[in-house]
Amino acid sequence: MTTDTTTPDEILATPPGDLAIWFFIFAELLAFGVFFVAYAFARARHVALFNESQQQLDITSGAINTLVLITSSYFMVRAVAAIKQGLSRECARWIVAAIGLGGVFLAIKLAEFHDKFSAGISLSTNTFYMFYLSLTIFHFMHVILGMVILAAVMLKAKGGGYSAENHTGVETGASYWHMVDLLWIILFPLVYVIH
Amino acid sequence: MSETFTKAMARNIFYGGAVFFFLLFLALTFDTIQTLPKRDHRENITDSVVRGKHIWETRNCVGCHTILGEGAYFAPELGNVYKRRGGEFIKGWIKSQPTGAPGRRQMPQFNLTDQQLDDVVEFLKWTSEIDTNKWPPNIEG
Amino acid sequence: MQFKSQAVAKPYFIAAIALFAGQILFGLIMGFQYVVGDFLFPLIPFNVARMVHTNLLIVWILFGFMGAAYYLIPEEAETELFSPKLAILMFWIFLVAGALTIVGYLTVPYATLAAMTGNDMLATMGREFLEQPLPTKIGIVIVALAFLFNISMTVLKGRKTSISLVLLLGLWGLAIFFLFSFYNPSNLVLDKYFWWWTVHLWVEGVWELILGAMLAFVLIKITGVDREVIEKWLYVIIAMTLITGIIGTGHHYFWIGTPEYWQWFGSVFSALEPIPFFMMTVFAFNMVNRRRREHPNKAATLWALGTGVMAFLGAGVWGFLHTLAPVNFYTHGSQITAAHGHMAFYGAYVMVNLTMISYAMPMLRGRSANSPSAQVLEMWSFWLMTVSIVFITLFLTAAGILQIWLQRMGETPMSFMAAQDQIMLFYWLREAAGFVFLLGLVLYIWSFFKKGEVQTVA
Repeated sequence: MTTDTTTPDEILATPPGDLAIWFFIFAELLAFGVFFVAYAFARARHVALFNESQQQLDITSGAINTLVLITSSYFMVRAVAAIKQGLSRECARWIVAAIGLGGVFLAIKLAEFHDKFSAGISLSTNTFYMFYLSLTIFHFMHVILGMVILAAVMLKAKGGGYSAENHTGVETGASYWHMVDLLWIILFPLVYVIH
Repeated sequence: MSETFTKAMARNIFYGGAVFFFLLFLALTFDTIQTLPKRDHRENITDSVVRGKHIWETRNCVGCHTILGEGAYFAPELGNVYKRRGGEFIKGWIKSQPTGAPGRRQMPQFNLTDQQLDDVVEFLKWTSEIDTNKWPPNIEG
Repeated sequence: MQFKSQAVAKPYFIAAIALFAGQILFGLIMGFQYVVGDFLFPLIPFNVARMVHTNLLIVWILFGFMGAAYYLIPEEAETELFSPKLAILMFWIFLVAGALTIVGYLTVPYATLAAMTGNDMLATMGREFLEQPLPTKIGIVIVALAFLFNISMTVLKGRKTSISLVLLLGLWGLAIFFLFSFYNPSNLVLDKYFWWWTVHLWVEGVWELILGAMLAFVLIKITGVDREVIEKWLYVIIAMTLITGIIGTGHHYFWIGTPEYWQWFGSVFSALEPIPFFMMTVFAFNMVNRRRREHPNKAATLWALGTGVMAFLGAGVWGFLHTLAPVNFYTHGSQITAAHGHMAFYGAYVMVNLTMISYAMPMLRGRSANSPSAQVLEMWSFWLMTVSIVFITLFLTAAGILQIWLQRMGETPMSFMAAQDQIMLFYWLREAAGFVFLLGLVLYIWSFFKKGEVQTVA
């Protein structure tokens, strides 16, 4: 944000991007938030089951995915910084990089799902796996949706649709992408790590 | 930075959100359909059960009773009535209606044949064996 | 009224109100049967009265939606209706089909009606709210398609506003999800699963789009607030509705044989369902506060604000009360469900129709608003009906809590009928409140005939 000329007060006053996306983000965070709380309650009631099932998760791939998404989020920060200087092509390139890492996340996650599904695990296996699959698949679909949004922003940026003055669309897409990243940063320790 | 809130973005979120959550709903539906055979014991749906459901529907039983909690709330829950009362009681009850007790709720006489009565009982028996996540809370329904 | 063809809305509104009156009469009969069980037996058994009560509700609300669309679409599209003749023809087909169905319910035993109308070929009858005989169901599809064709063509040839697009989307969704009423597998669990695709995805899905569009239209007209502002809020609100409401279907999948995970999905998403209703309330009050004109139709403004508040209370608050799986385990299929159903339907769909009628009917009769004395009468009817539905809901909630306590909790639970006997007092009170509602309805109808100084449309 070194290129940003707005004062801190102004940043606090209005969130970046279109206000409409913040309603969406708000609803999504609420849905995930309630799910996280429900997970905590269910875990407290079935500690042994959760501990045992959590041992079967692949923490390494989860950790790699965390790094992948954080890096991807950073690329979006660069994309926003670029467009604020009016660099459309550079902005588009950063977004392509962010989308690419989104793809890497999906590939790693798919391998993990494949592993679980071939072991015969489903939503009805037990309460832990219900939460594990629900939360991760729900998040997985958000990554796809985020990539679709970023792709639309990227195409518009490439065509010179944004400028240093008018770049709300890029910030809107970036806001959503940061949310997807944020959710994973909560989800990963909650489901994979905390025993 | 001026506040931005555009109709175009609101519209995109509406369409995007609706499609996204409908797809999620379809995915959950797909999983439900895959899982149901283990829970509804469909291998036990005999011709008699099928006929019984038809009688259940064409006598509009759901206009007074509930079945698995859905229907009207004027008369007892019948999803578990087989377990509560047993088949013979159910048949005798249907045959003896209406009670004609003054001021009491009345059930019509449907003039069912013995075969039809058996079918209704078979349907209610099958229904009582569905895995309903332990609902209702007790045998009274 | 800016376009001549908007006049086709008038018979739709009149039929809607007439059927509404019928619905209330049968509601009172049922309410009385709750306390004096053999009332009108065997002439009108409870199940028949209930079928008439709920089916009239659905049909009159559909009449109201169609009338609203015929009034709203030409004005939004700024062009005459594609075919007013088709609209009138469909009105008569729908009215006759509806009337014949009700007559069928009342005069022929249901099993005979089923046999007479081809239910053995394609069994669709005998499921809650979808009791209509096959020809009626097919009739509904035909009328809906002709209606959709008519208004879609109107929008296509005219201005395409967000309000008309949202309304069209809602109405198309209504028709599409009704098709699931033709699917009736012999497996009860599957039957129930897809039955909700009609019932839930109507009332907590596409109907809310229709509601939002109707409310937005009336708010633009009576407040004069900029269309851009109202339309973007409309989009945000209905976005929230579908984001929460689609997966919210899961709150019906707790105990009908569907997998356990629906308890989590259903609870989480339906817990969020009050949010769009709350937004709608705030939105309605906000727009009225920011009004840029004083519309002479005060009654319509009252109805519009009332819709926001009552939809939030009935659908939002009373829905939330029993939507979490651990609570619903006890409340499912009890009088709590009935309490919620009454206030939600009145607050959302009855009131939005009455809002639309309140705004449009004077216009259709050549004036921008009814006389002040007629409006006073209409506002009295608003308060009588609204307050009595609140009391009906409170009494049913009390009955439900007692019922659950006696029948579903404790060491020695009572049988269903024994518990019913214990809560009779609340059924009496509910019936009394029902008569107050009827009084409100009588005043409402009277307000249409009340003479007085009127402002003519400039």
